Amino acid sequence: MQTAKAVTRLEADVLVIGGGATGAGVAWDASLRGYQTILVDRSDLSQGTSGRFHGLLHSGGRYVVKDPQAATECIVENRILRNVAAATIEDTGGLFVTTPADDFSYGDDFLRACADTGVPVSELTTAEALSREPLLNPAIRRAFAVPDAAIDSWKLSRALERGITEHGGRLLTYHEVIAVRRDGDAVTGAVLRDKRTGEEIDVEAGFTINASGAWAGQVSALAGIEDVTIVPGRGIMIAMNHRLVNTVVNRCTMPADGDIIVPIRTVSVIGTTDVHARDPDDLDIAQHEVDQMLDAGEQLVPGLRTARALRVWAGVRPLFRDISRAHVLLDHHERDGVTRFITITGGKLTTFRLMAQEAVDAMCRQLGATKPCRTREETLPGSERGEYYELSARLNTLEQHKNGDPASDALVCECEMIPRHRLEQAMRDRPTANLDDIRRALRLGMGPCQGGFCIYRAAGILHEVGHLDGATANDALVDFLEERWKGTWPILYGDQLRQARLDDWIYQGLLDVEHLPDRTAP
Amino acid sequence: MSGLAAGIRLAEEGAAVVVSANGAGSLQLAPGTIDLLGYASGLVADPIHEITMLAERDPGHPYAQIGAENVAAAARWLSARIADGPLSPYRYVGKAEENMLLPTALGVPRPSSLVPETMAAGDLRSASRIAVVGFRGMKDFHPSLIADNLTRASGDGVAARSLQIDPPTDLSREPGTLNLARMLDRPGTAAAVAARLAPVVHEGELIALPAVLSTADPHGAWETLQRLTGCPVCEIPTLPPSVPGLRLFNTLRTLLAQAGGRLITGARVVGVRGGPEHVDLVRVQVSGGERSYGCRWVVLATGGVASGGLELDSNWQMRETALGLHVAGLPEPGAPRFSSRYLDAHPIGRAGIAVDRDLRPLDQDGRRRWENVLVAGAALAGAEPWREKSGEGIALSSGYRAAELILEADRHVAGTPAASTVAETVA
Repeated sequence: MQTAKAVTRLEADVLVIGGGATGAGVAWDASLRGYQTILVDRSDLSQGTSGRFHGLLHSGGRYVVKDPQAATECIVENRILRNVAAATIEDTGGLFVTTPADDFSYGDDFLRACADTGVPVSELTTAEALSREPLLNPAIRRAFAVPDAAIDSWKLSRALERGITEHGGRLLTYHEVIAVRRDGDAVTGAVLRDKRTGEEIDVEAGFTINASGAWAGQVSALAGIEDVTIVPGRGIMIAMNHRLVNTVVNRCTMPADGDIIVPIRTVSVIGTTDVHARDPDDLDIAQHEVDQMLDAGEQLVPGLRTARALRVWAGVRPLFRDISRAHVLLDHHERDGVTRFITITGGKLTTFRLMAQEAVDAMCRQLGATKPCRTREETLPGSERGEYYELSARLNTLEQHKNGDPASDALVCECEMIPRHRLEQAMRDRPTANLDDIRRALRLGMGPCQGGFCIYRAAGILHEVGHLDGATANDALVDFLEERWKGTWPILYGDQLRQARLDDWIYQGLLDVEHLPDRTAP
Repeated sequence: MSGLAAGIRLAEEGAAVVVSANGAGSLQLAPGTIDLLGYASGLVADPIHEITMLAERDPGHPYAQIGAENVAAAARWLSARIADGPLSPYRYVGKAEENMLLPTALGVPRPSSLVPETMAAGDLRSASRIAVVGFRGMKDFHPSLIADNLTRASGDGVAARSLQIDPPTDLSREPGTLNLARMLDRPGTAAAVAARLAPVVHEGELIALPAVLSTADPHGAWETLQRLTGCPVCEIPTLPPSVPGLRLFNTLRTLLAQAGGRLITGARVVGVRGGPEHVDLVRVQVSGGERSYGCRWVVLATGGVASGGLELDSNWQMRETALGLHVAGLPEPGAPRFSSRYLDAHPIGRAGIAVDRDLRPLDQDGRRRWENVLVAGAALAGAEPWREKSGEGIALSSGYRAAELILEADRHVAGTPAASTVAETVA
C-alpha cells in the first residue's frame, strides 16, 4: 500500500551540494555575499574526504618543488586561515627532515623552491631539530622549519555551520540528492530525500554548485552531464595513541607515501597511501598498506612499531582525470551548455576557502553580479579572539564549567574529558541527533580506550533521558562496536590488542551485547 | 583464577606452593560468577552435558583436554571451599549441570552456572516482576535501559521497571562501585538503603541492584536488605571494578594463605633453568631485584592476551611472555586474523598454548616441551571464552586439574605429595 508522499518545497538563491570543507566554504562565501543558501549533504558535515584526512594545514613546503603553483596557493591560504579560523588551528609548526634514505641535495632544491614560491623556511641544525622532537630518527642529516599547522576539520565544519546559519543559510544534513532539476539548458535545483524520514524535498534554486568531492561525477550525471570523471584516490591513515611528535614532520623528498606525521589533538597521524579505487565509498584497508605505513613511520620515528596504533581509516581524494591534486572548477555552461550549474572539486582542505571563492566568483560571473568575496577578512564564529587552539584548553574548559553537581560533572569519557552535562547539552542542541552524531560532535570514544566504557555510559544516559528508545540504544551500541572494529582490526597488535581483548571481556563476557533482544541490525 | 585454584588445591594436600604473580589477575574485572559454558551451538542448559559433547566434536578445545567430569569436580570443590571461606556464610549456589539466566548490566539474560547467593534471586527463568534500582549519580549502571531490555528479552513474561534512589554516601565524591560497597561494609548502611527502598518497591517484586553489596560482609548486607524490604534482592555485576570479582579474589587469596601457600605479587618471570625436559628453577624480577625459586613442578597460569601472558607484535607474531612456549593456532601469514565483523568469531582468538591430556605444553611438532610444566587458564589454545561464556570454567577446571595431575604424579613417584610448585599469574 502506498501512502501519498508529502513533498516539501523550498526555494533558495543557491543550492550547494556537498557538506565537506569545500561545500561548507561555498555556502559560507555565498551567504556572506547575500545569497540565500541551502547546503545539503547525504550524511553529517565533513563525513567524506574532509573528515578523513590527516589534519594538516599545509605551509606549501610539500609542493614547492613538484607543484609550485599549489605551494603558493597553500601558503597564502595558510595565512588567511590563521587569521579567520584561528580556533580550529593548533600552531604546531612543521619540519622537513632528510633521513638517511633521502637525497641530501634535495634540501637545497627545497630551500630554493621555498624562496621562489614564498613559503617561509629556515634550516635548523639536526641538534636543534632533535632537541625539539626527541623521538625523531637520530640519523637525520638535515632539518628545515616551515609554518605547517594542524587543523581540526570537525571544529572547522561546526564553525562554518554556525557562520552559514547566522547569515540566513540553511543546512539539510542526512538529505540525499535523488534528482537534479532541469528546465531546458538550466539546472533549477534538486529533489532531496531525507534519509531519516523518507520525506522528499523539492528545492528550487537560482544556481546550483556541486561541491560533492569524490562524488561530484555522480551528481553531475544526475544533471545529465556524464563525462565528469573523478578517480577516487584512496589513502589510509593510522592514528597512534599519543603525540609521538608535537610538530608536523615531513620527509624532505619528493612527495611519497607515508611521509608525513601530524600531531592532532591527543594523537599523531601517519599517512598516507594512494591507490586508485573504483568506488568513492570503498574504504577497505589492505594489510600491506598498513605494513607499508608502519615501515614508513619507522623512518621518521624509530620504534613507531612498538607504539600503540589506535585506529586506521581510509580517505578518498577526488582526482579529476587522474592528474595532480590541484583543484578544478568546471563551468558547465562553457563546457557542456548547461547553465546555472558548476562543479568545484579536487584540491586539499588547506585551499578550501580559495576553491569556494573561485566557485562563487564563477557563479557571480554567470549571473552578471558583482558581489565581492569577504571570506579573506571575515572571522569565522568561534575565532573572534584570534587565538589558536591549544591542547591544554580541554582541562581549562572542564575546570571552568564544573557546575558543582557531582552527577552532572561526572566524566562520561575520561580519555576525552567529557562530563555528563556536555553530553546532555549536545542532546538539547541537536534533538534529532543519533548517538553517532553526538559521538562525533563531542569526540566521545575517540581517545585511547576507543569508547571502552563511555559508549555504554552514553547509550545508557541517552536512553534514560528519553532521547533514545531501547531498541535504538541497543542498535547504537552495537553499531558503534562494529564501526569501531572496522578501524581497529587491521592495526590490532601489542597493547592495543590487549585493550581490545579487555573490551571483549566486558562487552561480550560481562554485558553479553551479542544477545541483546530484538536488534534491528543483523 | 587458574593460578590460585591450582595453588590452593596443591597447598591443601601439603605441597609447598609459591604463587608468583605480576598483578592481581583478571578476577576484579570479571562478573564474579563461575561460568562453565553458556553458548555452544545455542544457549546451553546443562553445561556438563554440553562440555562432554564439545570435547568429542572439538578436540582442540581446552575442555577436551580437561574432561567434563573434572570440570564438575572442580566446581564442587570451589563451591565447598568458598562456603567455608573467609566470607562465610556468603557462598556460591547453583549446579554445574544447570545454567541459570542472570541479568547483565545491559539487561541481557546471560547463562551462568555457579553464582554468588547475592545474585541468584535474579534468575530470569523464574522472575516475573523486577524493579531495577540504581544509585543516583553512579555512572556505570543504567536501570532504565536494563529494565527495558529485560522486559523485551522475556517476550513480556517479565515486567521490569526502573528506579533511582539516593546513594548512602557523601555526594561530593562520585559514587563508584568500590565506594558504595565499602559504605555497605559498615553496619547500618544496608538498613539505610532498605529504608530508601521500602517506600518505592512493590510487595513481592524482585529488587535488582548493582553489585555493590559489601566487600567484607555480603551475606549480612544482602540478608538485611531482603529482611527489611520483604522482597527478594539480587545484585547485577557491573563494569570494573567488580565487587563480586574482588570478593572472589580476596577469598582465593585467603584460602591459599590458610592452606600454607605463598603469594608474591609484582613479580615477573625473567628466566628458567633446566633441561632437557625438566625445569628446576624459575627466576623472577621483583622490585628489590631478582629472586630464584627451586621447584619440581611449574604451573603456568599467566593468562592470555588481556593479562599480558600472550603478546602479538606488529609483525603479527605471537609469543608467550613468561617461558617462551610455542603458540599454536596462529593463522598463516596472509590468512585472516580477524573477521571484518566484531561480533563474529575471530581466527586469532583461539591462539594460545596447545596442551595434551596431562596439560603439558606442546611444541610446533606436537611433542611435549617440558615434562614438569603444566599450563592452565586463559593461555590455553582452542577457545574464545568471552564469546561462549566459559572463562572462569576453563580457568578453574584447568587449574584444579593441573593440581590433581601433579598430586597424582607425586603419589606415584615418591609416596609423599611434597612438591614445590611455582604458579605464575600475570595480571
